[in-house]
Amino acid sequence: MSEIDMAVIKPEMMKPYVWLQTSDDSIQQVEQEIAMFCPLICQEIIQKGLGSSKNCAICLPQQVSPTMLSLILDYCRFHQVPGRSNKERKAYDEKFVRIDTERLCELTSAADSLQLKPLVDLTSRALARIIEGKSPEEIRDIFHLPDDLTEEEKLEPLRNITADPRIRLLNRLYAKKRKELKERERLKNIEVEEELVDERSVDDLLSFINGNSGESKGVKTSKNKKKNRRKKEQQKHSLKEEASELNKKEVNGHDIRHRSSEAERISETSCLHYAEDGTITPKVEFDDGDIDDEIDPALKEKIDREVEDFARRLNSDWPERMQELLSSGQERKTMHFTTDGFLRRHA
Amino acid sequence: MPRVAYSFPEEVLEHVFSFIECDRDRGSISLVCKSWYEIERWCRRRVFVGNCYAVSPATVVKRFPKVRSMAIKGKPHFADFNLVPEGWGAYVFPWIKAMAVAYPWLQEIRLKRMVVTDDCLELIAKSFKNFAVLVLTSCEGFTTDGLAAIAANCRNLRELELRESEVEDICGHWLSHFPDSYTSLVSLNISCLGNEVNLSALERLVSRCTNLKTLRLNRAVPLDKLANLLRGAPQLVELGTGTYTAEMRPEVLANLAEAFSGCKQLKSLSGFWDVLPSYLPAVYPVCSNLTSLNLSYATIQSSDLIKLVSQCESLRRLWVLDYIEDAGLEVIAASCKDLRELRVFPSDPFGLEANVALTEQGLVSVSEGCTKLQSVLYFCRQMSNAALNTIARNRPNMTRFRLCIIEPRAPDYLTHQPLDAGFGAIVEHCKDLRRLSLSGHLTDRVFEYIGTYGKKLEMLSVAFAGETDLGLHHVLSGCDNLRKLEIRDCPFGDKALLANAAKLETMRSLWMSSCLVSYGACKLLGLKLPRLNVEVIDERGPPDSRPDSTPVEKLYIYRTVSGPRLDMPCYVWRMEDDSALRIS
Repeated sequence: MSEIDMAVIKPEMMKPYVWLQTSDDSIQQVEQEIAMFCPLICQEIIQKGLGSSKNCAICLPQQVSPTMLSLILDYCRFHQVPGRSNKERKAYDEKFVRIDTERLCELTSAADSLQLKPLVDLTSRALARIIEGKSPEEIRDIFHLPDDLTEEEKLEPLRNITADPRIRLLNRLYAKKRKELKERERLKNIEVEEELVDERSVDDLLSFINGNSGESKGVKTSKNKKKNRRKKEQQKHSLKEEASELNKKEVNGHDIRHRSSEAERISETSCLHYAEDGTITPKVEFDDGDIDDEIDPALKEKIDREVEDFARRLNSDWPERMQELLSSGQERKTMHFTTDGFLRRHA
Repeated sequence: MPRVAYSFPEEVLEHVFSFIECDRDRGSISLVCKSWYEIERWCRRRVFVGNCYAVSPATVVKRFPKVRSMAIKGKPHFADFNLVPEGWGAYVFPWIKAMAVAYPWLQEIRLKRMVVTDDCLELIAKSFKNFAVLVLTSCEGFTTDGLAAIAANCRNLRELELRESEVEDICGHWLSHFPDSYTSLVSLNISCLGNEVNLSALERLVSRCTNLKTLRLNRAVPLDKLANLLRGAPQLVELGTGTYTAEMRPEVLANLAEAFSGCKQLKSLSGFWDVLPSYLPAVYPVCSNLTSLNLSYATIQSSDLIKLVSQCESLRRLWVLDYIEDAGLEVIAASCKDLRELRVFPSDPFGLEANVALTEQGLVSVSEGCTKLQSVLYFCRQMSNAALNTIARNRPNMTRFRLCIIEPRAPDYLTHQPLDAGFGAIVEHCKDLRRLSLSGHLTDRVFEYIGTYGKKLEMLSVAFAGETDLGLHHVLSGCDNLRKLEIRDCPFGDKALLANAAKLETMRSLWMSSCLVSYGACKLLGLKLPRLNVEVIDERGPPDSRPDSTPVEKLYIYRTVSGPRLDMPCYVWRMEDDSALRIS
C-alpha cells in the first residue's frame, strides 16, 4: 500500500482490527496493518468500506480457509517488519514453504486469490522445484490429477505432435507401463516367472527367432495377430524354457554377464516378436496395428517369405562372410578425423 | 485413494511452469494430463529439436504457438569428420519459412550442423521484428551477403555468433550494414571468417555498442589493431584475438598490455593464431581472472604455454594443443585447481611419430591435481590400462570422457593388451558418465563393460573397435539412457542390430559407417519399424543393384514422427515400410 493510499483513508478506517470471513463462514478479527498487506483485502477496505465490524466482515475468496489465512497472516506479519535483512527474509521464506505439497497447493491458490504476489511467487517456485525431475506419473500422483491423455496422444502416431524426441521416450515408457498393467490382469491365471536370466548368445537369439519355438514363423503379421494373442501364453512358456536351458552358456570364451530381468528383456532382444509381445518391451511400445492393417495380406505373405529366406541365408554364411570383410577392412588406414587438416574444436 | 484434483486457475499453473525451463521437465509436464498439456503448450517459449528430421516444422508450430526461441540440430556428429557427403540435407529453410509465418515475435535461433542459405538469413532479417540472437555452429551454405541482410535489418540484434561455420566470404563490408544508430550488440563472433572485415567499421561498431560483452575476431584482424579495439570496449568479458603476431616492437607490446589491463571484466580468451611468444606477456595482467582459455590454435612451445597457464589460477576451461606436453599438464594440475574441462588437440595428427612429449601421463597428472575435472577430450599417441584405471579412480565425477589415441587399434603400450580393462574402469567408476569416445585396441569385452556400467551414458562414439556383433549387442541392450550412438569401421553386422531393433526407437539416432550391416537388414528394419527413418548412404549406386547381403557404406537411423524425408540426395536411400513405394 502506498502512502498516498493511506492519506486518502478516512480516519475511522484506521482501526487496529479488521473482520474477515473465511471459506468455512467463520469470522475472525485480524490486525488491520497486517491484513492490508493483501491487495484484495486492502481493496475491500478502501473501496467498499468493508471489514470495520463483524456485520460487514470482508468475505474472503473460497480458497482461503482459516488455516490458510493464518499461514498467510504469519507471512505478512514477518515481512511487514521493515528492519529485516534480505538474508533473514530469504531464510524465513525457505522455511515457510517446507510444508507438504497439498498444503503448498492450497497456499498458492489462497495467495493468488488474495493477489499477494510475493507469496504466489514463492509458492510457485516451490511447486516448480517439486515438479522438476519427476516423471509424469509421479507428478500426477502428487497433484491428484486424472490420467486422461489418450494412448494415441501419448504415443504420437505419424500425424501427431511432439517437438522433442525425449518426449517420445517418456510417452513410450508410460504407454508400456499401462499395457503392462493391462497384461498382468489378463494373465492373472498364468504363472509368470519373475526372474529370467537372458544369457543366450546372439546366434541363439536369431535361431530362436527363426523357428525353434513351436508356432513362431519368423515375422508375425497382422493376420496372425489374433492367433498369436491366444498363443501368447504358450510362447511365454517356451521363452522361459529356452532361457533356463542356456543358463551357463559361454560364448566366445567370455561369460555373458548375468543379468536378471523380467520376461520383457527377452522379447526386447527380438524385434521380430513385437507383434505378439508388443506389450512387454521395456522401452518401446510396439503398436504396429495401424500400419499392418493397411498392407495387402498377399504382399505380407511375400514379405514373410523373403524375410525367412534372408534370415536363413544370414545364418548359414555368416562366419565366412565376416572373415572376408574383416580382412579387407584391415587394409584401410583411415584416421579418426578428417583428412583435410581441419580439425573442429567444437566437435 | 482418489482425491479431488487440486485445481489451480490456469494463470497460476502457468506461473508455476514459468519457473520450469529444462526440456525434459517441460516434456514431463505435458504428459501429466490433458489440461496440463494444453496449458504447457501455450506457455512454452523455448523449443529444442535435436534432430531436424525427427519432427516437421508444421507440427512444431502447430503445437507450440508462442515460441520465442528455437534451437535445431541437423547433420549427425560424424559430419565433423567429413563422413557425411555433400548435399546430405539438414536444410533449415523449411523451418525458417514455417516460423516466419507462425512466430512473428521469435527472438532467438540457434542452429548446429545445418545448411543455412542467404535466403534463410534474408527471411530471418525481414520476418522477425524482435530478432535478437543468431548462433550458427558448424553451419554452412551462406555468404557475407546474408550477414549483411541481418546487420541491416535486425534492429534489436544482440548476439551474432558464427562458430566454426563455413561462410563464403564475399565482402568484408557487410559489417558496415549495421546502421550508425544501432548499439545493442552484446556478442559478436566472426572467428571463422576467412577474409578481412572492414576494420574501421568494426572499430566504430565496437565502440558504440557499450553493452558488448563478447568479441571474437577472425584471424585477419592484425595484432596492432587489437589495442584500439580493446580500448573501445573495456567492459568486454570474452575476447577472441585475431592473429597474434607482428613485428616485435616494444611500444606495441606496451600499448597492448595497457589495453588488456584496462579490461577488468575479461574472463575468457581465445584466438591466438600465429602467436609470437614475445607478445604473450601482454595478456598476463588478465590471467588470474580467466575462467576460459582457448589456445587450440596457438602453435607455441611448452615453456611459453607454461608461463601463461601457470598464472591462470581461476581457469575452468582449457583448450590447448599438445605442445603443452606432460610437463605443462603437470603445471596445470598444480595451478589450475578449479579446472572443469580440458581439451588437448593434436598439433601433427598425420605424422607417424610423436612430435611432442605428450603421453598418458599428462592426463593422469591433471586427473590427480584437478579435483573438479569433469570433461575431457584428449588426443595422444599412447595409453595404458593402468593409466586409465588411475584416471577413473581419481575422477569418479567425470561426465564426459573422450580419448583419441591417434593410431587406430593401438594397444596398451606397456602390456600390449587391449584397452578393455582401462575403459572398463572408466565406466565403472564414473557413474555419471554421459559421453564417451573410445579408441585403441578394443575387443567385445569393453562393450560388455559399457553395457553393464554405462547406465547413464547418453552418447557413445566408437571407431576401429570390437570383434563381433556381441559388442554392439552389449551396448544396445545395456545402456539404458543411450541417445546417440555413432560407429565407424567396426565389425558389427546385422544380428545385434536386428535383435535390438526396438532399442532404436528409444534413441535419437544411430550412425554406422564402414561396418558390416547388410542391405537386406536395412530393408528389414525399415519395413518393420515405421517410426524410424532408416537411411542408407551409398555412393556406389543403387543398393538394389547389389546382393542383399552386401554391407552398406553408411547407415543413419533415427526416430521420427514426421515420416520419411523428401529432400534426400541421390546417394541416400530410405528403407520404406512398403517396398513397392521405395524411391531411389
